[in-house]
Amino acid sequence: MAILEVKNLYKCFGKTEVLKGINFSLEKGEVLAIIGSSGGGKTTLLRCLNFLETADKGKISVDGKVIFDGDEHKKISDEEIRKNRLHFGLVFQQFNLFPQYTALKNVTLAPNLLKVDTPENIDASARKLLDRVGLSDKVDNYPCELSGGQQQRVAIARALALNPDILCFDEPTSALDPELTGEVLRVIKDLKNHNSTMLIVTHEMEFAKKVADKVIFMADGIIEEMGTPSEVFDNPKSDKTKAFLNKSFEVF
Amino acid sequence: MFLDVTLNLLQNFLITLKLFGLTLLFSLPLGLIISFGSMSKFLPLKYIVKVFVWIIRGTPLMLQLIVFYFGPGLVVSMFEAEGVNNGFVDLMRTLNMADPLVTAVIAFVINYACYFSEIYRGGIESIQIGQYEAGYVLGMTKTQIFFKVVLLQVVKRIVPPMSNEIITLVKDTSLARTITVYEIIWAAQDYVRNDGLLWPLFYTGVFYLAFSGILTLLFGFVEKKLNFYRG
Ligand SMILES: Nc1ncnc2c1ncn2[C@@H]1O[C@H](COP(=O)(O)OP(=O)(O)OP(=O)(O)O)[C@@H](O)[C@H]1O
Ligand SMILES: [Mg+2]
Repeated sequence: MAILEVKNLYKCFGKTEVLKGINFSLEKGEVLAIIGSSGGGKTTLLRCLNFLETADKGKISVDGKVIFDGDEHKKISDEEIRKNRLHFGLVFQQFNLFPQYTALKNVTLAPNLLKVDTPENIDASARKLLDRVGLSDKVDNYPCELSGGQQQRVAIARALALNPDILCFDEPTSALDPELTGEVLRVIKDLKNHNSTMLIVTHEMEFAKKVADKVIFMADGIIEEMGTPSEVFDNPKSDKTKAFLNKSFEVF
Repeated sequence: MFLDVTLNLLQNFLITLKLFGLTLLFSLPLGLIISFGSMSKFLPLKYIVKVFVWIIRGTPLMLQLIVFYFGPGLVVSMFEAEGVNNGFVDLMRTLNMADPLVTAVIAFVINYACYFSEIYRGGIESIQIGQYEAGYVLGMTKTQIFFKVVLLQVVKRIVPPMSNEIITLVKDTSLARTITVYEIIWAAQDYVRNDGLLWPLFYTGVFYLAFSGILTLLFGFVEKKLNFYRG
């Protein structure tokens, strides 16, 4: 059974329709790359999955359980939204680390507040996570003392600390200098080798091609094309996809 | 003589300090409540609070003192003439009888709470939305986000404007004498009137300077403490 299933998702802001019927599913351990031109609705899709926005219509199910149903008009309680959110982790383009806490405390804060384990165990697993993203020597540094790439790796560790079923990335390297993107992409690749289920919005085409099991091309609120990387990148069917890929690759 | 004057002025400076301390004690939390009101999504509340803050910040503190001092008496005599007697009239009667220092504290608390509320609001609104969203995505509650993520960042940002306002309060306390609160400057003026001595009046400045000097050091210390991180 698919771990994530999104059915016919709609979202508009006032009069602008941003998502116009999004359908896709994701198997456990799969990596889905979402590409597409600016304003296509990629960020909005991730934000709907994480309940930072509420979709207008459609269904979101995780592991067969419906966690959002736009047709049910009862209001979901804050408590329930928080529980549903924990299926997902989100890594932001701008990192959004908590500046007043060290790297370690950034990772342990939420698990401690949610009391998912004893403080000692939380601390130990946070150190393990920071080690995994290559920051074992930076546990006691504050975000302002870290480079952008290091900050983003802390943010990844922070998201992993709650063991989300699906980890979402919204252009995780777009705010980074080119020489720092590599270190973040390597961490994501390593996660794939550990069978993490991931949903990655990215403009790094080469990376998407190499790491993704499935690629979605989004334009104007709909999924224009979906398939394996070789299907989407090497044999795109839709004209919009072709035009987008031509533009993306002609830079090189 | 010098020692006598010093002790006497010091004693009356304690009244100044009392007014200062009580004002801070009540206006700091009240300001936070007012700032929440002025940021409320419930528009009627928001606009009532905003108009209230505008009135308080837009009129002289001296005038507010006078209103709080004479207002209740006027209201009582007005209602008594009409033969009305209810809880409100009783409240006004109590206020009318109150020690002038109490009246002064009330007026100062309201005035300063409004100024503080704007500083709080500025601080809270300066926190990027991303900080809240990061908290939400990690499953935190709104309360947890406020206390564990946002609050310290707000405090760090508002310490400089708050210290400014608080040092102004030290000196504003002298306005309380308009409603017969006997404090240090008044005591010094009595030396002019009764003994023909002018210097005690100038000497009061030393007390203010010493106290605001202590506060400046204290705020400098807090600022330094909060400098363990940037951003
Ligand atoms: N809160 C909002 N209010 C109104 N309009 C919004 C809001 N958020 C997004 N939009 C609009 O929705 C559309 C899709 O935005 P979105 O951020 O999802 O695109 P995107 O695919 O992530 O683009 P990019 O590649 O530039 O990040 C845009 O036209 C945007 O202006
Ligand atoms: Mg985006």
